[in-house]
Amino acid sequence: MVRLKSRYLLCEVCVSDRRNLSLLDDRAIYTATKAAVARAHGDYGAALSSLGFSVKYLNAHTGIVFLRCRKSHYRLLWSALPFITSLENRGQRVPCFLNCLHVGGTIRTCQKFLVRYNTQQLHRMLPLCQSEAERSEIRKSVLSCTLKKEADDEEEEDE
Amino acid sequence: MRRADIQDEPATYERLVYKNTSVYHYMRISLVLENESTRLSAAQLKQLIVSGLRDLYGEVGGAFPFDLLTFDESTLTGVLRVYNSGLVKLWSALTLLGFYQNELCFFRVTQVSPFLLTLSGNSRELELD
Repeated sequence: MVRLKSRYLLCEVCVSDRRNLSLLDDRAIYTATKAAVARAHGDYGAALSSLGFSVKYLNAHTGIVFLRCRKSHYRLLWSALPFITSLENRGQRVPCFLNCLHVGGTIRTCQKFLVRYNTQQLHRMLPLCQSEAERSEIRKSVLSCTLKKEADDEEEEDE
Repeated sequence: MRRADIQDEPATYERLVYKNTSVYHYMRISLVLENESTRLSAAQLKQLIVSGLRDLYGEVGGAFPFDLLTFDESTLTGVLRVYNSGLVKLWSALTLLGFYQNELCFFRVTQVSPFLLTLSGNSRELELD
């Protein structure tokens, strides 16, 4: 039985100003990525990548994005990600860059990676904390990291 | 089944098979323009091919290295050299190239070969005395 395989690129949107992060929406990322692939790989790349491409998940609080594409040409998309310099949303241009953290075959594996990554980020944040209240807050979030809960509930800071 | 008293004879010859001897592919092309009297220099031809590659394959494709080995300005024929991995891209870009400075044109590919020696003659231009 022929199975249509896909690759999920787990990317993090890094902006200089955190307030702009909440303005993100998936249409902006979709158009920006398509334009970047068209610029980097031409008509061939634009046509090939538009076949199975979609933005599956976007978290405006942490800036995590799941991009879904076909397995045969996920590298085209991956190599065009560094060429994205800004996201356009309702007339406002937000300069940013997309950092690819993980490539997975299913959404579930990407979520598992995300939980591990978030715990690592929290561990890194622990020594930087100023007050005891923040520290206990972080310890509580680390202990409660599971796949059952929403993976984006934890506080995460961009390093 | 082999009989026990038959010994293997030592091999008297050795046969070597190369899968890919040549790293490059060579193409003899000729440019046909709508206006017969337009002349191009070698640099302009290379610029045209690079622009065709860039339209079809983007910045990454347009940066693929290829060389114009010879170019005859009067007949607008030349020989291109490209790495094996880029042959399909170059050939498809040449096929889809249609315009040179708002003038209709097309590329005709007469010969393609991994060896340059093959391009020295072809049966179309063979003269039998």
